[in-house]
Formats: sequence, C-alpha cells, structure tokens
Amino acid sequence: MLFNSLIFVVFLVIVLAFYYSKFLSWTSKKGMLLLASYVFYGLWNPPLVILLWISTLVDWTAGKKLALEENQSKRKGWLLLSLFVNLGFLAFFKYRDFLLDNFTSAVNAYGYGYEVQPIDIILPMGISFYTFQTMSYTIDIYKRKIKPANTFLDFALYVTFFPQLVAGPIVRAKDLITQFYEEKRANFNQFAWGTFLLTIGLFQKIVLADILLADTSNKVFGSKSILHGLDAWTGTLAFSGQIFFDFAGYSTCAIGIALMLGIVLPDNFKYPYASIGFSDFWRRWHITLSTWLRDYIYIPIGGNRHGITRMYAALIITMLLGGLWHGAAWTFVIWGALHGLYLIIERMLKSKIQIKLNTLNELFLALLTYIMVNFTWVFFRAREFSTAKNMITSMLFMNSEGEKIVETFDVIKVFSLILILFICHWIMRKTSMKDVSLKVKPWVLGVFWAVMLFLIVISQGSGEQFIYFQF
Amino acid sequence: MNLKKSLIIAISLGILIMAAWEIYWRSQGYLPDLDDDKYLWAKTRAMVDNATKDDVVFVGSSRVLFNLQVNRWKTLTGIKPIQLANAGATPLPVFHDIVENSNYKGTVVVGVTPPLFFSTTFEQAPPWNRASSRSEFYKNRTYAQRINYNLSIPLQNSLAFVSNDDEAWLDDINLKALLKTIHLSPRTEKPQDPPFRRFQDIDLNRNVRMKERMVNDTAFANSIKTVWKTILSGDKPPPEKEATIEYFLKDAEKFTSRGGKIILLRNPSDGFFKDIEIKGLPRPDFWNELITKANVPAYHYQDYKSLSAFKTIEWSHLSAKDADQFTENFVKILLEDGLITNLKNN
Repeated sequence: MLFNSLIFVVFLVIVLAFYYSKFLSWTSKKGMLLLASYVFYGLWNPPLVILLWISTLVDWTAGKKLALEENQSKRKGWLLLSLFVNLGFLAFFKYRDFLLDNFTSAVNAYGYGYEVQPIDIILPMGISFYTFQTMSYTIDIYKRKIKPANTFLDFALYVTFFPQLVAGPIVRAKDLITQFYEEKRANFNQFAWGTFLLTIGLFQKIVLADILLADTSNKVFGSKSILHGLDAWTGTLAFSGQIFFDFAGYSTCAIGIALMLGIVLPDNFKYPYASIGFSDFWRRWHITLSTWLRDYIYIPIGGNRHGITRMYAALIITMLLGGLWHGAAWTFVIWGALHGLYLIIERMLKSKIQIKLNTLNELFLALLTYIMVNFTWVFFRAREFSTAKNMITSMLFMNSEGEKIVETFDVIKVFSLILILFICHWIMRKTSMKDVSLKVKPWVLGVFWAVMLFLIVISQGSGEQFIYFQF
Repeated sequence: MNLKKSLIIAISLGILIMAAWEIYWRSQGYLPDLDDDKYLWAKTRAMVDNATKDDVVFVGSSRVLFNLQVNRWKTLTGIKPIQLANAGATPLPVFHDIVENSNYKGTVVVGVTPPLFFSTTFEQAPPWNRASSRSEFYKNRTYAQRINYNLSIPLQNSLAFVSNDDEAWLDDINLKALLKTIHLSPRTEKPQDPPFRRFQDIDLNRNVRMKERMVNDTAFANSIKTVWKTILSGDKPPPEKEATIEYFLKDAEKFTSRGGKIILLRNPSDGFFKDIEIKGLPRPDFWNELITKANVPAYHYQDYKSLSAFKTIEWSHLSAKDADQFTENFVKILLEDGLITNLKNN
C-alpha cells in the first residue's frame, strides 16, 4: 500500500479509529497495529508476508537465545543463524541474478560457454530495510547492548510497524521497541504536527518529485543520445531533487503517521543539499542507514582505530556496501565508491588544510559539495555505464554539439526549483521545521498547509511508487 | 505554536480553494467523468476470467471502442460484451493474453484497423506497447491498486477536476497537464504537437461514446483531423504483414481449437485515413490475405450495405448516434449468421 493513495487514507482512518477507541486495551491495540501492518504489506503481495514472519520468528528466537546463552560459541551460532537468514533473503531475492551474471561473465571470460536462465523473482518491497532493522536487533543483543523485547508482540510490531516498514527510517530496537511497552497516545499538538508532516511528505512526493521533476529526469536519463551540457545538468539536477523529495517525502510521511499514533521515529534527513563536505552530507542524508553502516560495518571492521590506511579501507568498504545495498548493479557500486573516495579526499584535505569558515566560504563549499554529489547521482540513476559516461561528459561540457531535448520551460522549472531547494536547505541547515513553525504565525502555517493540500489534490498523481521501495 | 488554529485554517481554506477550483472548471464546461486508464482496463480484463461460452469480448483499436456500443449490444442480445480495445494500439497482444492467460472459450470480436493491426510485433513499438502494458499491468496489479481504483470511481464521477487519463489530453486539468500548456520559446527541434483534446466519454463498462461537440463543432472535429494527419505524416516503419498475420494465426488456432470463436471486423474509415489505408495497406494484400489464412468469420464494412452507410466524423470514428446504429446492424448480421447468442430470445 502506498501513502500516496486513496486506500491508504481509508486504511489510516480505520487504524486511528481503532487505536483511539476506548474499548481496546494497549495489548489489543498493538495487536491491531500488527494486523494492520500485515494488511498494509499484504495488499501489495500477500505471499511475501511469509518472509516477514520467517524473519520475525528467527530473530525473536535468536534474540531470546542470545540473551540467555552464556556459551560464546553457541551465541555466535545464534547470531550467525540470524545473519544467515536475513542476508540469505537479501542474497536470494535481491542479488541472485547480479551474482549469477557476474559469475557467468567471469567463467565465460576463460572460454566456458556457461549459460544460466535468470529466474524472474519479484523483489519483496522494503526487504533491505526490514532485514537491516532486524539484524541490528540480534547484533545488539549479541553485543549485550540491549535486552530482548519483552513480548513477541512487541518484537513482531517492531519488525513490521507499517509507517516505516517498507522504506525506513531504519529504527534501532532500543528506540522503538521500548516505546511499545507503555500505552502511547498522541496529544493534540503531536497529532496535528503528525498530520502536518504527513501533508508535507505527500507534497514532496506527489507534487515536487512526481509532477515537477520526474518527467525531466526520466526523459534525460532515458535518452540514447549524447546530450547538450545544459540538458544533462537539467536532468541530473531534476533527479537530485526527485530522489530527495521522493525519499525524504516518504520518511516525513512515516514520521508523521507514527507521531499521529504517539510514537516517535528518528529523523532521516536534515537538509542534506546544504552540507559542507561529504561527512556532513552523510550526517544529513538517509541518516538511519548511514548510522547503521557506521555501527555495524565501519566500526566493526576497524573504523579509525587502526591507522589512516585501515580507516580509508574501512571507509571505502563501507561505502561500497552502502552502494550495493541500494541495488544489485555495478552502477550503484560506483556510486558508493565515489562517495567513499570523496570522504577519503575530504579527510586527507582536512588533515592538511585548515580553513577558517565564514558564511561565504561555507556557501561555496556547500555548493561544491552539492555539485559533486550530483555527479554521483548520475551513476545512481543511469541504468547503463554508457548512459552515465555520456551524461558525465556532457555535464563537463565536452559535448558542445550534444542534442537538446529539454524544453525551455522545463529547464527554467528545474533550475528554479533546485535553487529554491538549495536555499531552503541552506537556511534550514542549523534549525528544524519544528523550530521554524514555532516562529511563524499560525495563519501563515495554515495557509501554507492549505496550499499544499490543494496542490496535492489537483496533482492527482497516478500513485507512483516511491523510488526507495525497490531497494 | 497554535497548531489548532493552523489546522482549522488549513482544512477550511483547503476545502474552500478546492470548491472554487471545482466550480471554476464546471463553469468552463467540464463535467465529472471517468478516465480511460489502465485501472479501468484491468478491471474489465478481469471479467474475461469468469466469462462463459456465451460471452463476447471486443479487442481492437479505437474504432472498436467508438463504434461497437457495449450498452446497445447488451440491449439487443442480453449479453454485455467485455470491451478490451485500446486506442492507438494493435489488438494482437491483448488477444494473445486472453489466449495464453485465460480459459475463455467464448467469442472474440477482433477489430482490424490495418495501419495498427499490421503494424508490428516489436514489443517496444508504441502500437504494441500501448496494449501490452495494460495486459502486463493486469497481471501485476496489487490488491491495494484494485481497492484504490474502486475507491476512486465515486470521486471521478463526482468531481470535474479529477482527470488523469492515460492518454494525457491537452484539456486534462490535473497539475501536470496544466503545466504542459505553458510554452516558452522552443529549445529543441521537436515540432510542437497539435492540440489533442479528449473527444469521447467512457463509462464503467468501457463503453466509449464520441462527444456531441464533435458533431456540432466542425472546428473541434477538424482539430482531431489535424492530429491524425500529424501522426500519420511522419516517417513510419513499413507494415510487418507476415509477422503480424503469423502471430495472430498462431493464437487464433490455439483459441479456436479449445472451442473459442473469432470474428474479424473491419470498421469504416473515410478521407485521409481511407486514402492511406487504400494506398499503404490495400485490401487484397492485407485484409483478404488475413481472412483467407485465418479462415474465421470476417466482416468488412464495404461488403455490407448496413455497415457502410455511415460517415465517420473525423475520418476514423462514428458519432455516438451512428455507433448505436452500426452496432445494431452488426449484431443483426451476426445473429443472422448464427455467430452469437441472443439470450433475450432463449
């Protein structure tokens, strides 16, 4: 089920009606939320709910055993079982064809005529999100950082909680399960703020990403021609805006819906396009994934504890895996590698050059960071390396005779929107939406809210999926 | 922060703006209507899976959509046909889908619009893709999408500003369509498309009727003629006669061998369309060869006085009134030939 659909509106109203009804106990309400979450997921593809059940059962059992078991090798065994099941799902559903393709190419490079038929398997929606979430649970129990969930219901709801099930934020057990222990009710301000966040999230997805930016981005990245520099930049900027509004829109909706239930989810985006440098970018972009990668990959493989070379290696490995998490293709690996490289170069420069930051050079560095991030988006969006290569050369204005495919209005639309986006991120980078809303007059917020509602309604998006569902 | 005040303003102002928006578009002549989209098509396609031997399915291009009136057919025979024709598309992928992915053994009326029927078997080509993408959507649609569409029907039937047709007409009034009407100085070498406005209405049975405006407003009808000219004037790949006939025959054989009946229908055309069809896809080489090889009942409008006594409004489709009559005449022929059942008499 998609947030940007009529059925979700009906679904949410029913869930809220039961949640705030007086005749259900807190345990029954949690049961209702769990059932609703399975319905939310199952209405997409019912059989794939079984995967959620398997993941839930395995990690619940592993978590309990890990907490009770003192024998270290047995504890390792339970952890490995949890990792094996979750990573096994990922490997089978997401990376099978990619691994097989590469294996075939490698074998055939030595003259073998090996052929395999790819199996047309559907990629379970949000599998990368919920497997990472449940793995963090067992790993944290293994490290004795947390205790297992009090009840199976609390744990199952943690794995399946519908607002963040399919595209995050990836929430740690200590931050979410504990919220299920006591009855939660949103007060009026929380409920209204949650509704506002849901509106702004839908506005980002439906109006900004799908209506204003997606077509231009699709047109440019779908073109087989070598493009004019302005067209390549327009398409890339459009995609940078589209992916931000699409994904941040989903996260904002998720946070808003959870808040309407009185449950607090962590921020996933903090105005990333005004980041000063790439470390800053990763503290602001998909925060729950980057902290997951930091805590469960970067630090365990050494982090910065074993000298500079090991740290650089850890950085690049982490970012490569981060790239691969997004999709089973080499273009995603390159995207991750570029970010790894950026982070390494940044750390090298920081250790050699000390810059006293002021507004002007901060703005310059933010702009430079954003431009460099755009080059990485080319690999993220392009389906083939040839497209990425053509786009990059065009963006470097090396194709002066490139074809013009984007109309004047679309160029102006994309550049204006991206400029506004950048300015907003710049203004907001040291504050938050909540702080700003406290400062503005209620009628201004009300009018802004009404305009967003109106634009959502007249957009009548055709219920496009969120980009991150495929990851 | 006074969120209560903000929320009240947002809701009341939001409703007020939307009401004003609705009133404005109604004052411009817009009325609530359904969209011809993949959701409605898939809902209709689902009926094939439960259809009986007495049922009738229409596949074809827009001429089948406009000229064969579902409701009229039902009045005449007691059977409501399942309308699966797609504008601007070849019927081959839809027929293939019915043959391969259903057990349907009833009657299929296959509309043959030569420039589309014989166009291609290449899956990415627009005449193919426009139809196959809908079959694909039918196979892959989720339960959420099905329920969502059912929820959208009352909204489409109540609000004029809800317009999101797959065709993306110039006069659609969703935000994307409105933005598309803004034209600044051209940057690309792509010639500007002539205005293509919606000239038909569709109901929940996918019964399409040409708008009365097409009959009364010559300028409007001419604007559609200009679109046909533009579409057909560019460089077009040559027809793939052998490949398309072979593709159809394979499916036809499988379908008839399991007891299904096929009826081929060539709808009327005039003027520019007719000229192109005569010159580019002459009847002896295309239609005649198809019906000889297919060896199924086939009806060319030129062979029947009752089917050729019509004048298309924009060279390709009949007015709603004529379509009723055309349907009636066609049904009469089929009943006389004993090809379809009249449940009303049984």
